[in-house]
Amino acid sequence: MNIQDNYLKNKNNIFFSKNKDIQNHREKLINIFENDRFDKKNNESIKNINLKNFIDFKYKYLMPEETSVINNNQENSYSIVSVNGQCSSFKDDKIEITKILDEDYNDFSKNDTIENNDHFVNLNSLFLNSGFKIVIKKNNNIKIKISNIITDDNLTIFQKNNYICEEGSFLNLIEEYENKNNSTSNILKVIKLEKNSQLNHFLIQDNSTNHNLIITTHSSCKKDSTYAQKVYNFSEGYVRNFHYSELIEANSEADLQGIFFLKDNNTSNNKTFVKHLAEDCKSNQVYKGILNDRSKATYFSKTHVDQLAQKTEGYQLSKGILLSDNASYFSKPELKIYADDVKCSHGATIGPIDENAIFYLRSRGMSIIAATKLLISSFINEELSSIDNEQMSEIIQMKLVRYLSKVK
Amino acid sequence: MNSETLNTLDSYSKNKYKYGFVTEIDNEKPKKGLNEDTIKFISLKKNEPEWMLDWRLKAFSKWKKMKEPKWANLSFPEIDYQDIYYYSAPKGFEKKPKDLSEVDPKLIETYNKLGIPLEEQKVLAGVAVDVVFDSVSVATTYKGELEKLGIIFCSIGEAIQKHPDLIKKYLGSVIPAGDHSFSALNSAVFTDGSFVYIPEGVKCPMELSTYFRINAENTGQFERTLIIADKGSYVSYLEGCTAPKRDDNQLHAANVELIALEDAEIKYSTVQNWYPGDEDGKGGIYNFVTKRGLCAGKNSKISWTQVETGSAITWKYPSCILKGDNSIGEFYSVAITNNFQQADTGTKMTHIGKNTKSKIISKGISLGKSQNTYRGEVSFLRKADKARNYTQCDSLLVGNKCGAHTVPYIDSKNNTAVVEHEASTSKINEDQLYYCRQRGLSHEEAVSLIVNGFCKQVLQELPMEFAVEAQKLVSISLEGSVG
Repeated sequence: MNIQDNYLKNKNNIFFSKNKDIQNHREKLINIFENDRFDKKNNESIKNINLKNFIDFKYKYLMPEETSVINNNQENSYSIVSVNGQCSSFKDDKIEITKILDEDYNDFSKNDTIENNDHFVNLNSLFLNSGFKIVIKKNNNIKIKISNIITDDNLTIFQKNNYICEEGSFLNLIEEYENKNNSTSNILKVIKLEKNSQLNHFLIQDNSTNHNLIITTHSSCKKDSTYAQKVYNFSEGYVRNFHYSELIEANSEADLQGIFFLKDNNTSNNKTFVKHLAEDCKSNQVYKGILNDRSKATYFSKTHVDQLAQKTEGYQLSKGILLSDNASYFSKPELKIYADDVKCSHGATIGPIDENAIFYLRSRGMSIIAATKLLISSFINEELSSIDNEQMSEIIQMKLVRYLSKVK
Repeated sequence: MNSETLNTLDSYSKNKYKYGFVTEIDNEKPKKGLNEDTIKFISLKKNEPEWMLDWRLKAFSKWKKMKEPKWANLSFPEIDYQDIYYYSAPKGFEKKPKDLSEVDPKLIETYNKLGIPLEEQKVLAGVAVDVVFDSVSVATTYKGELEKLGIIFCSIGEAIQKHPDLIKKYLGSVIPAGDHSFSALNSAVFTDGSFVYIPEGVKCPMELSTYFRINAENTGQFERTLIIADKGSYVSYLEGCTAPKRDDNQLHAANVELIALEDAEIKYSTVQNWYPGDEDGKGGIYNFVTKRGLCAGKNSKISWTQVETGSAITWKYPSCILKGDNSIGEFYSVAITNNFQQADTGTKMTHIGKNTKSKIISKGISLGKSQNTYRGEVSFLRKADKARNYTQCDSLLVGNKCGAHTVPYIDSKNNTAVVEHEASTSKINEDQLYYCRQRGLSHEEAVSLIVNGFCKQVLQELPMEFAVEAQKLVSISLEGSVG
């Protein structure tokens, strides 16, 4: 079924479909789809994927019967179970969870950081059917864990989340995506960090083969704020991680990191983009990938330094290990710099596991498999050891062991 | 940046283009515009056989269906292909002069102004020069000596007449006419260029060189160069350009094809200093060049070295297709942009054979209000076992109105291939500057010294004949901005 029919047929289930302005905007988006030739070569958002599955989909959404659970099990620590992308409202003196409103619809498209030919973001805006908004109130130090559950097969979830960290707040946010049914989640998160706030954002992705997960985040940092994101992708199904960050006021920082483990026929598309718009900001983009069997991955990274953003420090690193003959990795680390007093660099490597290191370990009596596994764990050790949450560290270690057990 | 820098910046930015002059020679042109008649006219003028005309027309029909590639980080007004002369040959040159005395003295004067006196070069430098002046090769020197070794070094027009077998076999084999719109355009209307064939086992004893010169106003230059190095041979080829000052934008779409067979090596060096436009970004050459080398045989090697300082728009990606096992591709580049210049340049290394190696060193320097982009692709195909690539691209920014961009594409489909890429962007180190000034160098001397050091890795790859010129060129290019 094509996009337009899908939209017209399900209009009543979609958020904000009575709002005239939003309707107009959506009609424009439909036009984009109708006129696009889906040029895979030049459109980063659709490289390496079978687009037909995502364009000609069958729309299905179920409002969850059981309401989601919010559990204040310890002081300053919340655990949320979001069902089919929904979460019921909640309010105390530290956080506030509400539905998303009409004015949240267009809050990211005002700027040009996300290309307007990113078809997945456009799909999200078109079919938006779930989502919620979390506000962390001033000067609070909070931990939140969100488990995302999808109840049925063949659901198409188009979710939007807004996270707002008010002045001086500190949020440690863990989000888990572990779904076994063959649904598709397309999630857009708009994150706003006010002055002097910090968000440590962990995304743990471990879906089964038939579950598609498309996550796009757009964060903007005001003065002295820090956004640190870590993505752990163990999924057996398709995952798209596109993360955009804007440093809009001085002395802010963005740190976008990720590791992914692919096997079989799996594909993963990754992108990070940091836009420096103010002075004295720092950014870091590091992605590491391990590819086995016939898996494919792409990683686009980009640092944009505006003319005003003097004293910028922006670093990028992309590393890939190919374990099999048939795996392929595409990397495009891009720098776009318009200011002269900057320190920017990028590095990229793709290759097999170091033969000399294997030889060293084998000469000490290790089997080739054991040596390979050891070297893979050391390759990503930096990312794992930086997790300060013990419970989470254990979960990730377990997932790593599971992945390694299938490496031959 | 201190006020002194700004002062020097100001005073030097007023420097005029040294080589801006026009020699008045009657030009014989067909009508403006591009159609089948233009192509037939060119083919007729060049006395070409029928198969060549067919080849051109086929390319033209492809061009008509194509659009210009748009992905480059460049902005310029649409090119009106119907407003360009596609052929201009100095009058009376249909019959070539036998020696220099028969050449129009004004031409000789032009070369003298450029500092390439043909006769002196003959004797002193030992360089055989095949000068291209407005599309027709004027004089070819040292031919006799090269002929003794069996080396063919002539204009492509002559090669079409005399060596049709080689042309038929190789022309368009590396850059197919339908590759993209500029290659199709070139294939349809190319007027001249060089042809080099090095026979089996011959090491060419001298650097072969062509000086290009764009002269007539509104004349697009469409050079076609084809170099074939047969088994076990070696050749080093130099290409250098300067152009007179003009207000109208001139289009240049050259194609250069290199083919290295087994154990052969080709070294191709370019110094490009075409008119970059004035301080307000008016005028200047549009340079859309396709350069591609094919390492067809085992153990072959192709090395590109370029110093790009001129042109309003540079769109140039000398690339290597590493097909033969153990073949090597190298790319060394210095690109300097000033005022309103825009450069989008880089390379493409396609690893097909086993144990293929490639190395990319790119240095970009942006000054004034210019935009300088490195765009490079490294790809390992499935069978490229143990292939290796190392890429380093550094950018230097002088002033905060310019931009430096790096866009590498890395694609690996082989798990034994190793690719390493690193890039950095920074401004001139204050400490280094301070150190130099302390030792009595003026500000501009210091900057020039530091920039020359920054480029050294590339400049040292140039043959002796070019190295001196290139260093001067780097300093001259900087003069406009800092010193």
